[in-house]
Amino acid sequence: MTRTHRFQWSAILPVVALVLASCGGSSTGGTASSVSANTAGAGPSFKPLCTPQSGKSYKVALIIAQGGLGDQSYNDLAYSGFQKAKNDFPIIGRVIQSADIVSQGQAIVQEAGQANFDLVIDLEFSTYDAVKSVAPQFPKTQWMTPNFTSVAPNDTGYLFNEQDGSYLAGELAAQVTQDSSIPGITPSKTIGVIGGIKAVGIDKFLVGYVQGAHAIDPNLKVLVNYSNAFGDPAKGKQLADAMFQQGANVVYQVAGGTGTGVIQAAQSANKYAIGVDSDQDAIAPGHVLTSMIKRTDFAVYDSINRLVCGKLKGGDTVNLGLKEGAVGLSPMKFTKSIIPSKYLDRVNADQQKIIDGQIKVWNTITQGNPPWFTS
Amino acid sequence: MSGIVAETGIPVAGQETIAPPRALRLLRPLQLSGPFVIALLVGAVVLFASGRDAIGTYWLLAQQSLGGTTEIANTLVAATPILLTGLATAVAFRSGIFNVGVEGSLYVGAFAAAWAGFTLKGLAGPLLIVVAVLLAAAAGALWALVPGVLRARWRVDEVVTTLMLNYVAILLTSWLVNYYFLAPDIANSMSPMIAKQARLGSLLPPSQLSIAFVVALLVTGLYAYFFSRTRIGYELRMTGLNPRFARAVGINLGGAVLIAFAISGFLGGVAGGFQILGVNYRFIDHFSPGYGFTGIAVALLGRGHPIGIVLAALFFGALSSGGAMIQLFSDIPLDLINILQGTVMIFAVIELSRLPFVKRWLRHA
Repeated sequence: MTRTHRFQWSAILPVVALVLASCGGSSTGGTASSVSANTAGAGPSFKPLCTPQSGKSYKVALIIAQGGLGDQSYNDLAYSGFQKAKNDFPIIGRVIQSADIVSQGQAIVQEAGQANFDLVIDLEFSTYDAVKSVAPQFPKTQWMTPNFTSVAPNDTGYLFNEQDGSYLAGELAAQVTQDSSIPGITPSKTIGVIGGIKAVGIDKFLVGYVQGAHAIDPNLKVLVNYSNAFGDPAKGKQLADAMFQQGANVVYQVAGGTGTGVIQAAQSANKYAIGVDSDQDAIAPGHVLTSMIKRTDFAVYDSINRLVCGKLKGGDTVNLGLKEGAVGLSPMKFTKSIIPSKYLDRVNADQQKIIDGQIKVWNTITQGNPPWFTS
Repeated sequence: MSGIVAETGIPVAGQETIAPPRALRLLRPLQLSGPFVIALLVGAVVLFASGRDAIGTYWLLAQQSLGGTTEIANTLVAATPILLTGLATAVAFRSGIFNVGVEGSLYVGAFAAAWAGFTLKGLAGPLLIVVAVLLAAAAGALWALVPGVLRARWRVDEVVTTLMLNYVAILLTSWLVNYYFLAPDIANSMSPMIAKQARLGSLLPPSQLSIAFVVALLVTGLYAYFFSRTRIGYELRMTGLNPRFARAVGINLGGAVLIAFAISGFLGGVAGGFQILGVNYRFIDHFSPGYGFTGIAVALLGRGHPIGIVLAALFFGALSSGGAMIQLFSDIPLDLINILQGTVMIFAVIELSRLPFVKRWLRHA
């Protein structure tokens, strides 16, 4: 009898450990560390558009995407914008996390409408079908869908002009790749870019990059490839290695998690990568030339700002770009000292020209692919 | 909980042929509810320590999981996949097999159902749904048969193989969706939507409660019937209780192992298929938060008993659904819900009747 018992215990404990381990894996830390994403230029200004009406408070919900808080990326960045807004405006802010956000998305969106929120900011892309059908049922609630167009009359989409920031990245890469004075550069007329998949939302970055590079030198060769995966660093490294072997000195990654492989490849080949979305310069200091940053935190803040000031109407899409400081190049903390300042001057001058409308960067979302971009 | 105990720790129904002493019968409800009570107490301490109102929080949690039709429906939706994975796990455990690979079957099943949903668009609704669920079940069963054959034929330890095959299944489906079945023009790792007619309708709009939950309950009934009334069920039970005895009375052990794996994987696949057809409507990379692993906890907590499994699944479903919704109304972090869940799991496997002071109390009763 005793023997049976003992066997049973020893058998069951590892299973319990497994269960607990799986739980630990699926839930990430609740308190997010703030991600600071300082941009090269001015950066966006987090300023209230108005003096909030006294005595009125607004209920705002922030639905966290898959990956959860603590991802050091998209969610944390959005959360930091939410926190800033909480300090500046009279809002009751609720942060909704779920390990099962993908399956509970529709129920959460429904419940948020039911609970009379003034604004629901939904970071989880897979729930936008639900927002599309649920939002019209709750006309008093405003909705916000970042990185997507408006899906309902009371939903405001937020898009970033990533093509503009990518144009500047292309200009910088095109100049750096031809300069032997920069460590690790074997002068060539070749640079590269790796997209996650062939889709207009990704080609938007790629086309801007190619256009920027050709503005510096029309004879420059831009190698283009797609990893067909957003979470495959090994593939990213492989593709980047191939590009470095073909003479590229700089490779821009627009491929999410695959991109860390691109950065690793740059480090081991003593070349340069360009990061995307958040400031990735610190991943391999000195080997990430710059990062093309997207300020999701500003989009979150801006939507709350507009709500409080009565300027969030819904049904349209806000475009954020260089002018707002919502996209742009990183401060280049580790590479600024090795890049000749005349190159940076050119980039800064053209940044102003884009803002002033003197340079028009191709937008694949509205214009389709340009004739000169074939891949 | 005295008497013969299966190797897996799950007592087998009908094992207590000698009527247990009265005190023990009194203890049973205490034993089953013990983990929950202790977990709630631990949670209350955490809440209190972080300066929050424990009773108010629990009240809100109860309201958000059981306080209305929609809330109850959401709880049932959350309970559906873990009820099925719980049953899948329990079938294996009662047969003496540590299948911790239900998560893998769930993934391949989910992918198979999604594939049917977005490929076989010409089929009529009910037919397409049946085909998709059967494909999901077949995929899940075949997946589970890999470690099944290894165990039956070469006695390869199934804990290692099933656990590892989970990752293979997750990465395999991830690869398939990213490289071959990506929805066009979407920069996220998800397949195209399944055909409209393949979606399970809602029994209680606006929730996503569907026929899937009803089927899961029916499967629970079949599970009870299978182990108590069928010959194969009896053979599996005997294999689980005492393999040597089972072999001595002429049960084909290898065959029993294969059957147990196949049924377990079948149910895991069905769980995945229903999640796609009833809730997600497309395959999304890494969509499961660990339904298969929660299923292990559900099977253990329910002690392999059909009603126990249903109650455990409902409890975890309520915690999951209520735990998400509660955040709309208070600043309770998700971590508290995770603490409650973890504490229940720990205490679920401690058999209270073995604790010295409970034993003493029993003797006096």
